[in-house]
Amino acid sequence: MLAYGAGDAGAFETLYARHRGGLFRFVLRAVKDRGVAEELFQEVWVRVIEARERYAPKARFITWLYTIAHNLLVDHWRKKGLSLVALDGDDVSSESANPARQAEAREALARLVHALESLPAAQREAFLLHEEGGLSVAEIAAATGVGEEAAKSRLRYAMTKLKAAVDDG
Amino acid sequence: MADDDDISRRYRELPREEPPRHLDDAILAAARRAVHTRPAPLVVPSGRQRWYFPLAAAAIIVLAVAVTVHVEREQPAEDMLSSNTATAPAAAREAVPPAPAAEPAAPARAPSAPAGAPPSQRRFEMRDEARAQKPPPAPSSDERARNEAAPAELQKAPTEQSAGAVMGRVEAPKAVGAPPPQAVPPPEIKPAEKTKAAIATKGGAESQRRLDEGAGSGTRLAASAVQSPEQWLQGIADLRKQARHEEADKELAEFRKRYPDYKIPLAMRERVERR
Repeated sequence: MLAYGAGDAGAFETLYARHRGGLFRFVLRAVKDRGVAEELFQEVWVRVIEARERYAPKARFITWLYTIAHNLLVDHWRKKGLSLVALDGDDVSSESANPARQAEAREALARLVHALESLPAAQREAFLLHEEGGLSVAEIAAATGVGEEAAKSRLRYAMTKLKAAVDDG
Repeated sequence: MADDDDISRRYRELPREEPPRHLDDAILAAARRAVHTRPAPLVVPSGRQRWYFPLAAAAIIVLAVAVTVHVEREQPAEDMLSSNTATAPAAAREAVPPAPAAEPAAPARAPSAPAGAPPSQRRFEMRDEARAQKPPPAPSSDERARNEAAPAELQKAPTEQSAGAVMGRVEAPKAVGAPPPQAVPPPEIKPAEKTKAAIATKGGAESQRRLDEGAGSGTRLAASAVQSPEQWLQGIADLRKQARHEEADKELAEFRKRYPDYKIPLAMRERVERR
């Protein structure tokens, strides 16, 4: 990011390639509408571009990136309310050719998706930051502006509920 | 911990959505544009426009200098007001024939021009000197008399009266004794100042009438107020001649109090001082 701030456009392309997928899924699974997700995703990167000259590396870039995304999501939720995108048309390729196992796996993933949708927004966000961004508890706390204990608690609750939903079948 | 890993593994089995290609292109293009775009200069330095900045700067400087000079030239009226008391003795002293040329200038400078005076003040002093070298525009007794004889009138319209008095000294020398030589044309007065001068002339006539009344009452102090220093000294010399030394001493003391910087010519001093 510092290199990009100094005028190296190639540095931004590297950053973008590294974080585009995770950030997009984080946003997509946090909001319901794909169009809204694309809009928010683009807005996150526009803010990164605008802040290139005043960026100061106080933490990992990814923490800063997801902090921007979190703030935009908070704004979005304030306007629209909490929601998650419906993962319609899941095309989960199975490792196994066994139709029975395939069906079982699809059901487990469907339950996981359903459980993820059912999570409170804060817990879902903590889980997505952990899974998509690879953020530690401390980084989740920093990105969402809460204490480490709260972040840890949210993540723990999310994991427990998801595990219960997957094992339910 | 194993449960967490299991959840993570299952989560990763979910479809890995990616942003659409057009979004990637738009974001990357915006990033490149931001890097390559620099803030536009205020003035594009090309063709004739290259001269706009220097030309504008030069015009501003010339305008500023012109306004400054103009304002300074407009200030003589104010200068005359402020150095009113200083010019009067200087002008009067010029009329004394035996006085050395260098002597009158010194007292004229004394009241308002210390050695360390700021340049603007010194400039005004030079103007005073120039005025002193010319024939006196009018005796200062008019102003003095007006101040003493008509204080109520001055209180009613102080600014107009004093400005008018100054202009009146220039415009209407006949209103009060000691006329200037005919060879020197009267100073040019602007239209706006003519109104003031007219008021001053009117006021001068009025004050002259009052002074005449004062002289009629016989008060010597009032008489000395309308006299020029030379006339006053001549009066003291006459008193000496009549052996009225007490009165002469008193008058001389009063004279020195009023004109502390006035250097009495040697010939006159022998006549006015007690021997």
